[in-house]
Amino acid sequence: MLEMNPAPVLVEDMIALTQRLYHEARLLDAERFEDWLELLCDDVTYRMDLKRRRFRADRSPPAAVGAGVVFNENFARLKLRIDRLRSGYVWAEDPPNFVRRVISNVEIEPADAENEVIVHSVIVIHRNRIDGLARQFTAGRTDRWRHGTQGWCLAARDIALDHAVLPDSNINVFF
Amino acid sequence: MDVSDLVDTTTGRQKRTIYSNEELYKQELERIFGRCWLFLVHTSQIPKAGDYFRTFMGEDDVIVIRQKDGSIKAFLNSCTHRGNRICRADRGNAKAFTCNYHGWSFAPDGSLAGVPLENEAYFGELDRSKLGLVQVTHVAEYKGLVFGCFDPDAPSLEDYLGDAKFFLDVWLDAMPGGTSLLGETQKMELGSNWKLPVENVCGDGYHLGWAHAGAMSAVQSMDLAGLSVGNSSTNLEGGLSVAGMNGHMALTSLDGISGYAFYPEPKPMMDYLEANRPTAIERLGKVRGEQLWGSQINITIFPNLQFLPGLNWFRVYHPKGPGKLEQWTWAMVENDMPDEMQAAILDNQCLTFGLAGLFDNDDGDNLAACTEQSRGWRTAQMDVFTNMALGRSGPRDGFPGDIAAGLVSEHNQRYFYRRWQEHMQAESWAEVPTYNINSLSVEEPGNA
Ligand code: FES
Ligand SMILES: [Fe+2]
Repeated sequence: MLEMNPAPVLVEDMIALTQRLYHEARLLDAERFEDWLELLCDDVTYRMDLKRRRFRADRSPPAAVGAGVVFNENFARLKLRIDRLRSGYVWAEDPPNFVRRVISNVEIEPADAENEVIVHSVIVIHRNRIDGLARQFTAGRTDRWRHGTQGWCLAARDIALDHAVLPDSNINVFF
Repeated sequence: MDVSDLVDTTTGRQKRTIYSNEELYKQELERIFGRCWLFLVHTSQIPKAGDYFRTFMGEDDVIVIRQKDGSIKAFLNSCTHRGNRICRADRGNAKAFTCNYHGWSFAPDGSLAGVPLENEAYFGELDRSKLGLVQVTHVAEYKGLVFGCFDPDAPSLEDYLGDAKFFLDVWLDAMPGGTSLLGETQKMELGSNWKLPVENVCGDGYHLGWAHAGAMSAVQSMDLAGLSVGNSSTNLEGGLSVAGMNGHMALTSLDGISGYAFYPEPKPMMDYLEANRPTAIERLGKVRGEQLWGSQINITIFPNLQFLPGLNWFRVYHPKGPGKLEQWTWAMVENDMPDEMQAAILDNQCLTFGLAGLFDNDDGDNLAACTEQSRGWRTAQMDVFTNMALGRSGPRDGFPGDIAAGLVSEHNQRYFYRRWQEHMQAESWAEVPTYNINSLSVEEPGNA
């Protein structure tokens, strides 16, 4: 068990953070990437690990150099992804796709640092891309949000993608 | 089905039905995936006895298991009782595989080790010796790469690979420590016929500057043989398209560093290449040690294995019907590379050609659309073309194969479809031609 800061999360903070998640989702749905970057701390980490599918009784060790990732980003790498999407050359995004995020199961708990909280949530991303082709990504998220002079910023996001085989040919979206 | 009119290698023409026709697909499962040597696993993925890895040979679900004596066997992942899948995990280590349905239990050597109620319900009359898992006919290893083959009449793996070994060794044998695949399997479903990604990676340098223009413009350090954003220029002297090696091919640059030069932090990579260049030259000879090792190379082993020293991804495509496939990717490293370099390679492979790969994410929709545009009644009657630089190939000093200049050419694709046609036409291996064009008669020093 992590040692928990005994101070409870204030109701105002809970409301503010939940609204932040919804707001974030709306910014991303609308491809307002630069506005989204404003919500991130400079030292943000944004990560989605590849998962193992093993028998429960399996005792084989984890991969030596690591499982590999889908995302292992800092601010600069997120910016790089946005540069690509903004280049005007990402043909899969033109015409723009219908993208809608649903955020749910928001749960907030204290973090070790006094000005930080842990925020759990579930995200479902619906995408309608070519003609009738609709695909959905489902993932759990564990965030660390930090309170600073500008209000809450996202310090860390760990994303657990719930698909053993990616059900689409790209992930040109942020979770 | 007769396929003589579906591919014309002399003009670089294919009929679109080869991407959508169900009957042709079934014929592919039989004559290509049922006949060719198919990549199963890298030895680094199952190092210890009892280690296993689940994969596919065509649409056949297969489980590959390291034996007690260190050898490797592969079996159909299907219970011999009522057919249930016996293993649902991707990989792991197991002492036995017990079927979920009625509890039959199979040992790692495939034998049927236990049957519930064997005496009470079968009256002890079951011949367990005849009910072991069905073994993949041939399993063989080439320098860490384990292949399986269903066809008893297939040539040996070494003969099957033929002169492609010249290029394989640039990756597999440049350094004494051998190679590994890293991490979990990166699996993606694509609405594409399996031939299209193979064709794309085996020879299609043409699409890089256009299809990947977004990623290329964002990742400034990417510069491959003078290819530029928007396909506005290319330098044909920087690379070679090599084919005519039993359906295998290579697309290679020749500078000895381009594979690693575009890493976000190339310095440690360049240091590694410099420090180990003499070893590579000693082991591979001058041409390969100087010009190929460290270069960006696309290697294709027919029908569905591709790996790219430099970008360092390793990939196999599993067909799931004429219009669908699963793409499996890993990062690959030389074991002599320092840990930090291996970690950087894994990270960069995931960034560029992983599930959210800056480059890889550009290809899927194009391949899917080429597949879909082979289905319409009128569209399906049309041809598609790989006729770029037709007739402009020949031998090159120091290299095997029929070679066209540059990374931008459709030379390799023509040989891929030629091989497809040869297999699809042949009733058996005896009718499949063997050719290693411009084979190097005198082996270079360092070749065993
Ligand atoms: S199907 Fe496997 S035990 Fe019956
Ligand atoms: Fe591509």
